[in-house]
Amino acid sequence: MTALRGQPGSVPLKISIVCLTLAIACGTLFSLATGGRTDVGLADIFRPDGLARTVLFDIRMPRTCAAALLGVNLGMAGLVLQAITRNPLASPAILGINQGAALGLTLGVVLPNTIDLPLDFYALTGALTAGVVTFAISGGFGGKIDSLRLVLGGVAVGAFSYAMVRFTYTLDDDIARSVIRWTVGDITDIRWSETKRLAVWAVPGFLASLVMAQRFNLMALGQASARGLGADPRITLLLGTVVAAALAGASVTVAGPIAFAGLIVPHLAKFLFGGDHRVLVPTTALLGAALMLVADGLSKTLTAPIEAPIGVVAALMGAPWFLWHTIFARDVS
Amino acid sequence: MRHASSTRLIWTLLGLTFAAIAVFLWSLAAGAVRIPITTIINTLFDLDGPKQGFIINKSRLPRSLLAFCTGSSLALSGAIVQALLRNPLASPKIIGINSGAALGVLLTFIFAPTLDLNWLPVVAACGGILAAAAIFSVAEFAPVSPARLALVGIAIGMACDAAVDFILATSELYEVSAPLVWMTGSLWSRGWAHLNAVWPLLVGLSAITLLYSYRLDLIRLGTAQATSLGLNVRRERLALLALATLLAAISVSVVGVLGFVGLMAPHIARQMVGGTHRGLLPVAMLVGAILAMVADAAGRALFAPLEVSAGILTAMFGAPFFVFLLLSSFPSPIQ
Amino acid sequence: MKRNIFAVFGLCAALATTPLSAGEITHEAGTTDVPDNVKRIVVLEFSFIDALASVGVAPVGIADDNKRDRVIPAYTDIIGDEWVSVGTRKTPSLEVIASLAPDLIIADKTRHSAAYDTLSEIAPTIVLDSLGGDYHDSVAQMAVIGEAIGKKDEMDARIAQHKATMDAYVTQITPLSEGLSAQFGVTNATGLWLHAPVSYNGSLLEMFGFGSAMKPAEGDVYEKVYVPTTLEQLSEVNPDILIFGAYANPSQVDSWKGETLFEDLTAVKSEKVYNVTAHNWSRLRGMLAAEKTAADIVEIMKK
Repeated sequence: MTALRGQPGSVPLKISIVCLTLAIACGTLFSLATGGRTDVGLADIFRPDGLARTVLFDIRMPRTCAAALLGVNLGMAGLVLQAITRNPLASPAILGINQGAALGLTLGVVLPNTIDLPLDFYALTGALTAGVVTFAISGGFGGKIDSLRLVLGGVAVGAFSYAMVRFTYTLDDDIARSVIRWTVGDITDIRWSETKRLAVWAVPGFLASLVMAQRFNLMALGQASARGLGADPRITLLLGTVVAAALAGASVTVAGPIAFAGLIVPHLAKFLFGGDHRVLVPTTALLGAALMLVADGLSKTLTAPIEAPIGVVAALMGAPWFLWHTIFARDVS
Repeated sequence: MRHASSTRLIWTLLGLTFAAIAVFLWSLAAGAVRIPITTIINTLFDLDGPKQGFIINKSRLPRSLLAFCTGSSLALSGAIVQALLRNPLASPKIIGINSGAALGVLLTFIFAPTLDLNWLPVVAACGGILAAAAIFSVAEFAPVSPARLALVGIAIGMACDAAVDFILATSELYEVSAPLVWMTGSLWSRGWAHLNAVWPLLVGLSAITLLYSYRLDLIRLGTAQATSLGLNVRRERLALLALATLLAAISVSVVGVLGFVGLMAPHIARQMVGGTHRGLLPVAMLVGAILAMVADAAGRALFAPLEVSAGILTAMFGAPFFVFLLLSSFPSPIQ
Repeated sequence: MKRNIFAVFGLCAALATTPLSAGEITHEAGTTDVPDNVKRIVVLEFSFIDALASVGVAPVGIADDNKRDRVIPAYTDIIGDEWVSVGTRKTPSLEVIASLAPDLIIADKTRHSAAYDTLSEIAPTIVLDSLGGDYHDSVAQMAVIGEAIGKKDEMDARIAQHKATMDAYVTQITPLSEGLSAQFGVTNATGLWLHAPVSYNGSLLEMFGFGSAMKPAEGDVYEKVYVPTTLEQLSEVNPDILIFGAYANPSQVDSWKGETLFEDLTAVKSEKVYNVTAHNWSRLRGMLAAEKTAADIVEIMKK
């Protein structure tokens, strides 16, 4: 799989890593320096006193970490989906996985709980179901994946889930305010407990992706070649779906659906670092973290003092890019 | 592609017309308040006896007619888009027209809330046209496959949706309550004023589209063949895209985003009478009208006094249907 | 059309015989001629129930979000339990409204302006800004409603009585509230919305002499009525007294308990955080509601 423009690896890897680290550092500072209290700013990060310390450690740091982890999770999910479907437009949002998770959550809230299951479980089930249905539609489990059918199937699954979510809160006004949050990504009141949940999924997700990186490379050669080289594409598809659904589902439970993060980040990474997934997995994770950190800072500053939900900011950042890409990129079918 | 014989076409049209009338009558009878048939007849024809003036004449009648008009217009728009993109899985929603129109109307609600109703179709049309223009420029200046065009449309739709979400998320919650209702695709409180604002436009545009049936067939053959048959493809595509945009955008302006009608209707029609547009277009119109009327009436009647938006119902039933189509369509959509 | 003719008629009658004909009411969507003997009234917001209950009139239809218990006993004691639900306040069922054959419909400006023409076809409709207005606006609306239902004198008397009651409360509370800032907010499972000084509850608190810590920043005029607030922002506002109305249990505020920033809030440290019924404080917005709110505040100050 070739990069979009320029040669793969045209930017020397070492420089790229340095740049990425710098980007993350800047993003972190941006995210930490902005927030509800206007008197806790950049200077306080380096010399935190009592109040600033509390604000920074209790409130801003978990949120900043969450933003970074969301970037990692969603970037990974997007990368994995794009690899297993060999479609550069796949992402948890476009394939309906985010919306499926939101629907799962809504059902978890609305349906009477006979068994007391954590919300994560509902989100994960919803995400998995949506992913499986979309893949089934595109023919993934049988033979080839039809590219257009994949995207259109995702649109259908996403639209259906979204309609069901809205339907539930048409019937019950009280749910509306809670559920509305699950229709757009929002990390306003995140604390360490939720951030930990993201980390819990991020680490195995990342490791699993790393392990499967070579499989992804083989997938890119085509399903026949992959099988010939000993990597059964159906297993890759299945494992990849589970990983992507878990990462996306976890993200939706904590923050709601965030479109575009899972779409843009892998693209950017491929553009900069080429197509080898063994390189892509770590770099996508870092890039995702950096972008979401910037988005978090923006969400607090764009319409101050009102905070714009991070999902909306990510969409505003990502939509023009996505548009540009569908028009000009060469490797879209 | 099966060829529809004329008899089959005529029977289908007749059958659908009867079905449409039956659904229309059911739509008049369905709702939060049970009204016996005799009362309906009394009200409609101003006979002696118990009447329900407002509900029948001022609410259900214009709503049903509006559902009919917008449903058929959206279906026509979908048929055109599918021909233009040479892909039976495209629709005005998918190519971003609906989102552009929605953005246009939302901006109007926010910045000019007292604007006269009659301007809404115009505003929506502008939004839809901008979105369509974006797609069209791509089609014109970069040689891309129809599949790519569909994806560009999706991207434009998502960009508009992002803008819409941003506005909704950062506005005062109660201020956007009204546009939110409208945007889910709802005919709540629509009356004669709304109908009168759009039906002449929609009828006119539909008539023009029907006249274009033959040209749609040619365009579907592909650019090379169409040109060799004497068609100025570029100009025709522009005109057709304009038609599709206006039909969809004007509908969206009064009923919001009714998802999937523009997709389902032409496809159901295609299964019934094949792909020749002379037959496909009228059949699609009727199917679209029926779908919209059913969604509206069901939304009114099922959970009374709560109203479920027609848009939610069309998505809830339309999406699985769409999936069914995807699964059962030919292995590769006609490129 | 009919409405315009009536309006012209009314105007002529008004010119001919001052004072203005009692049937012509000016409201947010224009002027409507309301018939004199209004018996069957449909109301589409809770504050309008309050107005009717204040003068002992029972509406035939209420948009109660399909939850009858949202009409609290303070109202049902007066208006009874016979009303018909017309659905949600957001999208009330026009058919059910029509089937009630009302003489008058009272609608809300933000929610129902788009439906004004359609509602007017059913019955004369007046539109008032229930959601957006503050306390003083709401009292003014009571007067308009009183005039519309032909009980101008009774309503004026009731308003005077209400003003006297509230003045008494003010006298009682002001010395206690001297120099203190208080803030009201509603919270559900996922967020907290503070009610700005320009909101209904904000203006009430201001009337009782409480300061507001929610000053607009740097000369911005406070445009937003309900401000989504994070814990950080709350700690910056940091009022002396915090009053929360929770729509969900546990609420977002509950989840903040135990956090340093929350525990460091002035109000929390001095144990001046109070919980009130969100529905009564936030949704009802009428005279009876205001008196209840005032009573709640007295309770709070006594603690």
